[in-house]
Amino acid sequence: MSFWIVVGVLVVIALWAITVYNGLISGRNQAQTAWSQIDVQLKRRHDLIPNLVQVVKDAMGYEQETLTKVVQARNNAVAASGPVQAGAAEAALSQATRGLFALVESYPQLKANDNVKQLQEELTTTENKIAFARQFYNDSVNTYNNRRQSFPAVLAAASLGFGTIELFNMPETEREVPKVALR
Amino acid sequence: MSATTDFVSAQKVNRRNTLVLLVVLTALAALVGYGIGWLLESEASDAVPVLSKAGVAAAGLMAAISVGWSALSLAFGDKMVLAMANAKQIDKADAPQLYNVVEEMAIAAGMPMPKVMVLETDALNAFATGNKPGNGTIAVTRGLLNTLSRDELQGVVAHEMSHLANLDTRYMVVVGVTVGLIALVCDMLLRSLAWGRGNRSSSSDKKGGGAAILIILLIVVAILAPIAAKFVQMAVSRQREYLADATSVRFTRNPNGLISALGKLAEKAEPFPGVSRATQHLFIVNPVQTFTSKSSALLATHPDIADRIARLRNLGA
Repeated sequence: MSFWIVVGVLVVIALWAITVYNGLISGRNQAQTAWSQIDVQLKRRHDLIPNLVQVVKDAMGYEQETLTKVVQARNNAVAASGPVQAGAAEAALSQATRGLFALVESYPQLKANDNVKQLQEELTTTENKIAFARQFYNDSVNTYNNRRQSFPAVLAAASLGFGTIELFNMPETEREVPKVALR
Repeated sequence: MSATTDFVSAQKVNRRNTLVLLVVLTALAALVGYGIGWLLESEASDAVPVLSKAGVAAAGLMAAISVGWSALSLAFGDKMVLAMANAKQIDKADAPQLYNVVEEMAIAAGMPMPKVMVLETDALNAFATGNKPGNGTIAVTRGLLNTLSRDELQGVVAHEMSHLANLDTRYMVVVGVTVGLIALVCDMLLRSLAWGRGNRSSSSDKKGGGAAILIILLIVVAILAPIAAKFVQMAVSRQREYLADATSVRFTRNPNGLISALGKLAEKAEPFPGVSRATQHLFIVNPVQTFTSKSSALLATHPDIADRIARLRNLGA
């Protein structure tokens, strides 16, 4: 009789452990998938910016400084690695492109250019996708980290190789949507 | 669960509710089937069997109907809806901004990219359909595309993405089948009772007052159950709309887009041709009736737009 009680308790504990372990695994996988989505969108932005610079370069004869800034920020962002470094570099890039968009507004022939319009829409959506992917990534990371630091996972998480995951912050763009006047 | 993941928990709750509904639905159908079979057999033989063969057969039949009906609705419901609404699938080249906005919201929700469709009508509306996360469709009208700004379109698409993320589309299909089947079996019950009574009046009436009370009770239940089920369905539908509005703000972090979109939708309310009452609960605003104060009545699929806007403003616009 008491033997079966012990077996029952052990089974319940084992099931509990399995649930906790699977929760950690799925949390970490979700965070990794979310990060790869951010990565895809960052790369896409890095690819789009040279195109935009190319298109507006000739019309913007007197604005070489802004263009150089954008190119410089883009190159820094490409070189950055890891969430913390990338966050700062990408924030700088967002700001530089926003400056460029603001300038485009004062060039009617650029504003009317279909190529520029299309690139603007693409950059706007890519910026948004980065922001939304970051939002989803950070939510996933928070859920995972909370799970990891809760009892009983906290007892075994580190020894099973579940480390904390870093949040991805882009300090200067926080809660600010790029204002691009497009329909 | 923390507030940041509440659409994930909403998804879990809906998944469980769907299962519970399916089980209850099948049990109810089997029970009513048994009742009808039992009634018929006892009327025919005048002896009341404890285990009626006709009852068991009818129970099995009703259970099979309910399972089959649900399965068919889940498998083909979305295709029927899209065909009835005359939606055309588009890709990125046809409407880049719409496609981009849907992609953005899929990323925000952490969901697979749904199909994107456009309905060629000037009415302002949008809907979502799909029976599982990898198999969703978001459709918007041409009028909506032409009228809304990017932010407003984003709010509307986020609302539809919320229906997909919360699994509302699947849940409401099963709720709809449940309500339909309850109406059907109650109708059958009333008919078989009427038939039984007609039969009995010609034969000898040897059953006591207990049986008569039971039969009256059955009649009352058969009349009231479909009405109650309809009220519950509409209440569930309105709750799902509020939840989708709230989830949409979780995705966009910008209540103003959806607020001003809802304002425009309310302003230019016009009935949507080719949409029946069967599919109205899928849309962002009710496509059949125009939006008067009556739409907050108990039988409305959608809450009053002014009320939805007020709740969104509370979210910190």
